[in-house]
Order: sequence, then C-alpha cells, then structure tokens
Amino acid sequence: MNRRSLLLGAAALLTSPAQAKPAQGLFIADSPKVLPALDIRDENSRAAGLDTLSGRPVLLNLWASWCGPCVAELPMLDRLKPRLEDKGIALVALSLDRSGKIAVANTFARIGITALGIRTDESRAAAEKLDAAVLPVTLLLDREGREVARYVGAADWGSPPAQALLEALATGRKPTPEMAPPQLRFTSAP
Amino acid sequence: MRKAIRWALAALIISLILPAATTQALAEDGGAPGVVGRFLLVDMNGRPVTDEDYLGKIRVVVFGYTYCPDICPTTLATLSVALDHLGADKAKIVTLFVSVDPERDSPQHLKDYLAPFPEITGLTGSPAQVAAAARNFNVRYQKQPAENGDPAAYTVDHSGSIFIMDRVGNFLARMPHESKPDRLAERVHGYLYPKKAED
Repeated sequence: MNRRSLLLGAAALLTSPAQAKPAQGLFIADSPKVLPALDIRDENSRAAGLDTLSGRPVLLNLWASWCGPCVAELPMLDRLKPRLEDKGIALVALSLDRSGKIAVANTFARIGITALGIRTDESRAAAEKLDAAVLPVTLLLDREGREVARYVGAADWGSPPAQALLEALATGRKPTPEMAPPQLRFTSAP
Repeated sequence: MRKAIRWALAALIISLILPAATTQALAEDGGAPGVVGRFLLVDMNGRPVTDEDYLGKIRVVVFGYTYCPDICPTTLATLSVALDHLGADKAKIVTLFVSVDPERDSPQHLKDYLAPFPEITGLTGSPAQVAAAARNFNVRYQKQPAENGDPAAYTVDHSGSIFIMDRVGNFLARMPHESKPDRLAERVHGYLYPKKAED
C-alpha cells in the first residue's frame, strides 16, 4: 500500500458518514463449510429440509416478499429450476417472510412463478444461522450440504460465467472467481 | 527514510482511529455518545408524532430507507425476530424505523413497505424534520447518485446502529446494525427488568 492510498483509506475511515455498502458478488469458501440445520417447510407445513434432497448439490436462494431485488430475481430462478434438475442440482428458494406460505403464495401468484416450490423458514432463524445480513443471497451447497460459495445480490443465472459455476457445482469442482455471474441490475426507482 | 515516514504515518493514522473505536465501544456499553432521543416526525398515517408520544415505553430505534435496488438489509427482520423473543414484553416497547429518505418514503409508502412487519412503526417527515432527528441521534446520512444517472434512483448512505432508548427517550445503548436478534432481545429485556444492586 502506498502513502497516498494509506492516507485516502484513513480519510475514508474518519469521515465516512455511512456504513459501507455490503460487498456483493461471489464469495468462495476456502474449504466447504458445514451449515447449521434449518427448519424448512413445504406448502403443507411438512418438513422439507436440505436433508430430504438425497445427496444432491443445492442452490439455496434466500428471499423475502418485501425485498424488491429478491422478487425480481425469482422469475429467472423459476426458469432455471428444471435445467438445474437435469444437471442433478436441487434449487430451493427459501422465503424468510414472517407470514410464511401466505406471503410466498401471494408473491408467486402475482409474478407467475410455477416451478419453484413453496419453502418457508419455520423457525425464522435462517438469516441468522446462515449469516445473511442482506437479501437476496444464494448459497451453493455440495452433495454433503456444505457451503462451497455464496452469491450476494441478484445474479444473472443465464450468463456464461453462471453456467460454468453451476457446472462446477454439479460436478463437485471448486468454483473459481472467473465463474462469478454478473449482477442483475434493477434500475427503476419507485 | 521512506520506511520511517511510512511507519510514522501508520502510527498517526492508528492514533486517529483508536479514540473513535474506543468511543464506539463505550457507547455500546451504555456510555454517552451525545445521543438525544428527541424528534418531531410524521407517522405512517401522516400524523405528527414526537418522542413524547411513546412516554412509558422503551424505544428501539433504527434509521434507514426502503429503496433497495440491488440488496436489502435484513435489519427489520432481525428486529421482528427479537420482538418475538420478547414475547408479551414486546407490548412494553416501541420499535421505530426512521426514514432518512423523506423524499421517497412518504407515510403511505412506509405503511405499505412495513406491512410485513406489523410491530414496527415507520416514521418520516419533512427533510428538515428528518435532519433534526438524525442530528439528535448522531446519525449521519448522505445521498449518493445512482451509477446509471437516474436522478430518482439514488441511494442513501447512513450510519447504521440500533438504538435503545429509555421510557422517556434518553439514550441507553447503541448496538451494531448486524446484531443477532437474541442478543438484542436480551439487551432490551435487561432494560425492562434491571437487576437490583446486591446489598
């Protein structure tokens, strides 16, 4: 670090009015990370935890109906699900909504989601257990249910880097930084 | 020589940063960071409201805004889980979300946005009212223009703490934005039921 960047860094620390915007993009775990158990339920309130996915790799998306970019990312995930299933990857879109399946069903109906199943966070502890300070976030889990990477923000899952990332997940290879999908951009203001 | 300058510079920077870090630690332990819990704002029904309207209740206060173009913080969800942890005691506290974006966060917009969090009260106001409330809480915020140049798509950088204020609005504690819900609930519970000093 040169003197100029040291000074600039110090100035930023001392005068910044703001909490820095959390980093977005692909974060690859140094080694696969064991996750705490989650109480995930389906539309009939039956247990639908990750342990029911019979040893498949998983794309675990966390979203909520009050999170605009999360809802905007859902149609892409909805289209992605059957393609992932062909590769042997399970896609779980887990809602963190307080009102559970009602909020999910309403959102799915409103934006025409058909392939994603209703999955709710029964104990309302997923965000804390998975250390998700912002939404959306998508975790990539290996066959043993361990986190190998996470994507913070809404991703363009149809992009070539995303294809490579999902291929790596399907075949059990460690992701690399080049596989980071671009962010999906939502530009409309309220 | 260059190395010596670099070390001296690093030492200076550390000495400038450390007092700030110490102040923060004190504040989180109940020190006095110059926070005054006074405000005159507008509630989600468009009615003027002041801190005196919440007399008798412990207040949990966060500052933020509802427009999140690419990622949304889970702070409101954290607050609502903390309130669940408190059970019936949540009737003894009020949880306030104060917008630092009064231009876009109208009372009606706040009402719609906060519908999934029925126990959280959204407050907004005129830019001057919001600025005064933020100043009292020692919260800084600043508009940042959107990368795409859309004048309506700006973001608002802001300092993000969870304030706990007593039943008359005096400062009790400031906790980090990313505090765990059980830790926050525990802290509020501690203020609701303070332990008596041992004789």
